[in-house]
Amino acid sequence: MTTELSTQPVMSRESSADSDLDRDRRFLGVYQKVSRLVSMSLDHQEVMETIVRSLTELLTVDACTIRLLDHSTRSFVLGAAHGVSLNYLSREVIDTEDTLTQVRSGTPVYSANAAEESCPQFRQAAAQEGIKSILTVPILYKEELIGIMRLLTRKTRQFTDAEIGLVVGLSEQIGVAISHGRMFKEMEDRLVFLNGIYEISTLVNSTLDIDHIFNVVVERAAVSLGAKGCTLRLINSESGLLELAASYGVSASYLHRGEVSHERNIQVVLNGEPVAIYDVRRDPRIEYHEQMTTEGICSLLAVPVKVNDEVIGALRILSDRPRIFTDSAIRFAVTLAEVGGAAIRKARSYQKITRLMRQVQGHEAFLASIIDSLQHQLLVIDPNRRVVLANRVYLEAIGKEEKEVLGRPYTELDSIAPEDSPVEQVLQGREMNPCLQTLGKDESQRWLEWTAFPIYDEGDLSYVIEIVRDVTSEHLLAEERLQSGKLQAILSLAGTVAHEVNSPLFAALGTAELLVEELRLPEEREELGVIIRNLKQIGELTGKMVSMTGFTDQKYVGERKILSF
Amino acid sequence: MAEILTLDDVLDATVLIGKILRKKGHVVHTFTDEDEAIAFVRQSPVDLVILDIKLKKMSGIEVLAIMKETKPDIGAIMLTGYPTVETAREAISLGADEYCVKPIDRTELEEKVEKVLAARLDQGLE
Repeated sequence: MTTELSTQPVMSRESSADSDLDRDRRFLGVYQKVSRLVSMSLDHQEVMETIVRSLTELLTVDACTIRLLDHSTRSFVLGAAHGVSLNYLSREVIDTEDTLTQVRSGTPVYSANAAEESCPQFRQAAAQEGIKSILTVPILYKEELIGIMRLLTRKTRQFTDAEIGLVVGLSEQIGVAISHGRMFKEMEDRLVFLNGIYEISTLVNSTLDIDHIFNVVVERAAVSLGAKGCTLRLINSESGLLELAASYGVSASYLHRGEVSHERNIQVVLNGEPVAIYDVRRDPRIEYHEQMTTEGICSLLAVPVKVNDEVIGALRILSDRPRIFTDSAIRFAVTLAEVGGAAIRKARSYQKITRLMRQVQGHEAFLASIIDSLQHQLLVIDPNRRVVLANRVYLEAIGKEEKEVLGRPYTELDSIAPEDSPVEQVLQGREMNPCLQTLGKDESQRWLEWTAFPIYDEGDLSYVIEIVRDVTSEHLLAEERLQSGKLQAILSLAGTVAHEVNSPLFAALGTAELLVEELRLPEEREELGVIIRNLKQIGELTGKMVSMTGFTDQKYVGERKILSF
Repeated sequence: MAEILTLDDVLDATVLIGKILRKKGHVVHTFTDEDEAIAFVRQSPVDLVILDIKLKKMSGIEVLAIMKETKPDIGAIMLTGYPTVETAREAISLGADEYCVKPIDRTELEEKVEKVLAARLDQGLE
């Protein structure tokens, strides 16, 4: 059962003027002490811790807690506490929804007996801690709710109107102190963050080593924000998957806890919005509650890494203490991720350019190797008739070094007259006719063929390639073929003659030899012998003609023969 | 005594071969036309054919191929006035026993014929 209270102090019904005076003196003392305490420090955390500790003593209560409003979730997160267990502080339900609604509207709420409260979860948590009475007051700053303060007793206690009025007054003081402390901290942080951004910009811009940039970003993000660690995940442009690029301050087992890309906080970040999570153990935007708790992570700030408005990854800053990330901290992380993104883009561009340069150099070396391996002389000439490239064979042929040749007019180098030069024909836009040059005499005679080809760039002549080819062997081969053709014709004629003569010769000679056996008269045998002798001479002649064609016979396997030239 | 067929586009050459081989006791059938010679081989027993390579319609090599197709065991001596490696290889690959160049000596012809017939006898083909 809660009681809504007026924010105005209610006058005590005690009639004794002395008692009122004592009470007022005591309250004044408390007020002075609290005022002194809150003015001693600019650290709002220290202020809160001092208040909760001091008020339990000054107001003779068992415990005091301060919770701050987390604007992102509209929930109250723990700022400082004294006199209650961690177990109680970490309960899921802070109080009944009625109480919180009333406090949010700026009204103090007093509950004499927590056991009678409507919310069973809160009732159970209060019972376990032995809490009986609770006074909850809003902490305001410039009429805006920034948190709540709760006074707790383990015995049932009736807070007087005067006490409630005192607490409300104190909470206003505390509100001012916390807000001033926060502002101071904010300014201090901004300075730190500004230095951090400058430092990180300097570091990431001093290198094009992409891994070094990754490591600088995660390390400086964690250190500058006073966080435990930081992870940087980038989207693989080929697979589209989010991959870990670098980490700082977290264990390998944490990093390997599983796929994170489907976590709600990551999804929001990949849509370009930062996400601050006060309690990672319970927040539904986190999937791996247990692993994060084991790693000692309490709060998380995740921001997108952008390049030209395109989200390329997520930077997550991990705090090992419960933390409300201020606007400055979030802006710092966003700016840092932007600086990192720009550096990553630059480094990736450099990597791409370096890779392309290597490819170009590789192709150049390959081309140069091919050009130098050519057996022909090769010269490249620009439209001003100056040499821009000469291959090894050309340089060897003219006996000069490359540096002596490059940039010189080709007419000073070539051994043919420019008017006959195919290069000149190409340069003048005429039809190119190859030029044949004869060098030396007799056996050392050589023939060179000069040709030239244009290279156009968008229709304009940019270079002319001159190729000088030693065609001596081709020339000699052509001559040999000509001679061979003539010889073949002679041999063919000889073969035909032999063929046509041999059959009748065989008949005539054989018949004469048969006839000579039948003749009786010596004169007749002698005359036929003359015929046979002359026919045989013809046979020898045709045999020679056949042998001219290269025919011979040789023994083959067994009794057979094969014939060959 | 063997049944011998001789084919040459020069009639006198076939007559001469007939005369030489008949003297040795063989029965010689002379032809100047390829078709007639092929028909004879298909119809009659022939032990040996003596073929000129240059004929009127076909080459001696083609005639040899047809005759060998009809009678694979038939003996064959090829005669030519113009020997070439190609014709020699083809003739031997088709099963010719001898490849002789004109003008062949009478004695050489007789020896070649006897050698081919003797080799056939050794192989039990007669």
